[in-house]
Amino acid sequence: MKVTDKFKLESATIQKARTPLIALAVVGWLVSLAGFAINRDQFYFSYLVSFVYVLSICLGALFFVMIQYVTTSGWSVTVRRLAETVMVNVDILAVLFIPVAIGIPTLFHWSHPEVVNKDLLLQKKAGYLNTTFFIVRAVIYFLVWILLTKQIYGNSVSQDQNGNPSHTQTNAKWSAPGILLLFITGSFAAFDWLMSLDPHWYSTIFGIYFFSGGGVSFVALLIVIAILLRRSGYLEKAITVEHYHDLGKLLFAFTVFWTYIAFSQYFLIWYANIPEETIWYIHRFEGSWKAVSVFLPLGHFLFPFFALISRTAKRHLVFLPAMALWILFAHYVDIYWMVMPTHAHHGPNIKFLFLDLATLAAVVGTVGFVFVSRLGKNAIVPVRDPFLEESLKFENV
Amino acid sequence: MSSVSEDAANQLSRPQLVLGGQNFHTVTEAVSRIAEGKTPKAWYLAFAITSSITAILGAMLAYLVATGVGVWGNNQPIGWAWDITNFVFWIGIGHAGTLISAILFLFRQKWRTSINRFAEAMTLFAVACAGIYPLFHVGRVWVAWWLFPLPYSQGMWPNFRSPLLWDVFAVSTYGTVSLLFWYVGLIPDIGTFRDRAKSKIKKMIYGALSLGWRGSGRHWRHYEIAYMILAGLSTPLVLSVHSVVSFDFAVSIIPGWHTTIFPPYFVAGAIFSGFAMVMTLMLIARWIFKLENFVTMVHLDNMCKIMLATGTIVGYAYATEFFIAWYSGNAYEKFTFLNRAFGPYAWAYWIMVSCNVISPQLFWFKSLRSNLTVMFIVSIIINIGMWFERFVIIVTSLHRDFLPSSWGYFSPTFVDILTFFGSFGLFLTLFLLFIRVLPIIAVSEVKGVMPQAHAHGDSHH
Repeated sequence: MKVTDKFKLESATIQKARTPLIALAVVGWLVSLAGFAINRDQFYFSYLVSFVYVLSICLGALFFVMIQYVTTSGWSVTVRRLAETVMVNVDILAVLFIPVAIGIPTLFHWSHPEVVNKDLLLQKKAGYLNTTFFIVRAVIYFLVWILLTKQIYGNSVSQDQNGNPSHTQTNAKWSAPGILLLFITGSFAAFDWLMSLDPHWYSTIFGIYFFSGGGVSFVALLIVIAILLRRSGYLEKAITVEHYHDLGKLLFAFTVFWTYIAFSQYFLIWYANIPEETIWYIHRFEGSWKAVSVFLPLGHFLFPFFALISRTAKRHLVFLPAMALWILFAHYVDIYWMVMPTHAHHGPNIKFLFLDLATLAAVVGTVGFVFVSRLGKNAIVPVRDPFLEESLKFENV
Repeated sequence: MSSVSEDAANQLSRPQLVLGGQNFHTVTEAVSRIAEGKTPKAWYLAFAITSSITAILGAMLAYLVATGVGVWGNNQPIGWAWDITNFVFWIGIGHAGTLISAILFLFRQKWRTSINRFAEAMTLFAVACAGIYPLFHVGRVWVAWWLFPLPYSQGMWPNFRSPLLWDVFAVSTYGTVSLLFWYVGLIPDIGTFRDRAKSKIKKMIYGALSLGWRGSGRHWRHYEIAYMILAGLSTPLVLSVHSVVSFDFAVSIIPGWHTTIFPPYFVAGAIFSGFAMVMTLMLIARWIFKLENFVTMVHLDNMCKIMLATGTIVGYAYATEFFIAWYSGNAYEKFTFLNRAFGPYAWAYWIMVSCNVISPQLFWFKSLRSNLTVMFIVSIIINIGMWFERFVIIVTSLHRDFLPSSWGYFSPTFVDILTFFGSFGLFLTLFLLFIRVLPIIAVSEVKGVMPQAHAHGDSHH
């Protein structure tokens, strides 16, 4: 099959994409720094939201890529390099974790010995919830993620050069245990960075909740990236409306999956009505947080559910990315809603502050800049993947 | 290209799903002969055995109705024991069928076509077995219809807040949709059976069941739309049924039952046990009916991989529960889990862990995924392990209540044991009947994944 698409980004395109991202990053970091000087506490909480938001999406990308390899998926080959280039940015996120590590005393009150001394429950948990072990665990998580992403990305781009199909098998071999490792590390990361913000509270489904949000948001991001490339004249023939249709189906399915997990957690806690568990939701029903709690089932489920259910919607190349952007917004609200109500100085009402935007701009700008640079280095499609042809002529029957 | 990469290229090409140089006619012949030929003597023997076992089930249920639920070993504090264990066990088995026919269909897993008919039949029979237990556990089984929200006539109304009532709706919906899905999928094949039938009675029965199927282009178009819609409707049901079953436990405030991971954990466990049961029965059927060309090593390899994945998810759930029980700092949670692993039921707990988490890890190895003996043994071990999982969850969480004065131990009575044993008789009897009257492989769907079905010779997209 003859395909006339450009498989390599032109330097003009890279420049065009990088300029706004670097501007975003620079402005973001400068404003964040100013905010840090004014309100240190707020900075750390805002930063944690932005960091976890971007990280969850990168982990979603890692999961997506590994699933494609494990299932020897054919249809997704033309979008896989974009996903690989998203996931490989966990190394930058490891560096961006440093402010979170510095902010531990502000973010996590289990880190204060005087608090723990007065709290029997925290004394019981001290073997797990202590600053040293917390940082050791974070290092382990990032090492696992960096190892997996580098291996898989490395093999995939080597295949571009030598066309050796054994790289596909090697990646499948990495991916099968990789998914298991990702689930274990990601769950504990969610326990550490989000659940332990309220160290008395616990929920066994929390790790899966974290993944379900990251998974759906990554599919959304993939749609957005592919459409942006299409608008710039790339991959118009490689990523066809058939691929968008499939991505739309995944967006729809993962939205429902997120809802299933979010509902399971809420419903079981609500029904059993045990005070030590309900407190987490009670905090999120106080003051104006209630509006956010009501928004999530509507904005993160009902609206996208009905908007994406039809075939026409999933094949519409303006509507679909619009919905993808909406999901990315709803996921941000979800993370914000998990983190911010535990911020003691925040009070019972939402105070969406410039620091929230500034830290988001800083993290998104930085990671986005690295992403574009990496995308420019290699072909934007795995050009010699053994299933490329299958993907190029893929059609929904 | 080196020889290593050539080897890799060969392994990466899409495998043929039907072997032995079959054409459409030989496929029809190979599947139809199983039901059309003269009933073998071995079938009569098997049927005599399984129907006798079913009779034991009937006898035990009659004894229970005549005497009372007290003939079971349930006691205070263990109000739920084998009855609910068996219910969840059978419902779980029923999950593979719909997963294979609906979810794998939506994921375009073409290998499903050889096993979906078989697995869906298994689903229906398993749901029938499952229904017996809660039905008879209500005690006065003749008023079980009060569970339905019938117009106000009894001066009573079911308690909509009870997850047990949700079960009634969840399981009956699941049973209905699964039956519809199975039947819709059967229609073209029943049409084939009608056309091939020699006796007049057979022609009439298959003719009525085939709903006037003529195989015209319009028929196929409607059929495919209906199939797709039913697949879409069945997909959430695969998740919802076992989620609702998990609510039976998780909405309570009993340590070991109330934990938020229960819904997805139960669903993964159900698919796990369902695949194990499909594997056990499929290996027997494949051997007896010589279906090696349809249920190839590729199919079995994929099934092993799904068992590995779901078994590992179940292991993840066990570990998460244990970790959070410690992390919670809650003395009751911690006690319950330590009691599970080291208390009077430690034997059951470790049977569960070794069967469900450790044994499927063998399937990491390609050589074991292509060894029929290993597959057969592991699939049976998983079935045993998944029964024990439900037993461990139900009984160990109940047997030591909050007050040590309310501690107890459950021992099954002969009625418990024989009722469970008898339900296997029912399950297998239904299966034997199915094998004799309907095509056990979806003939028309298998033809659709053969290279001949694709004008340009590309059997895959």
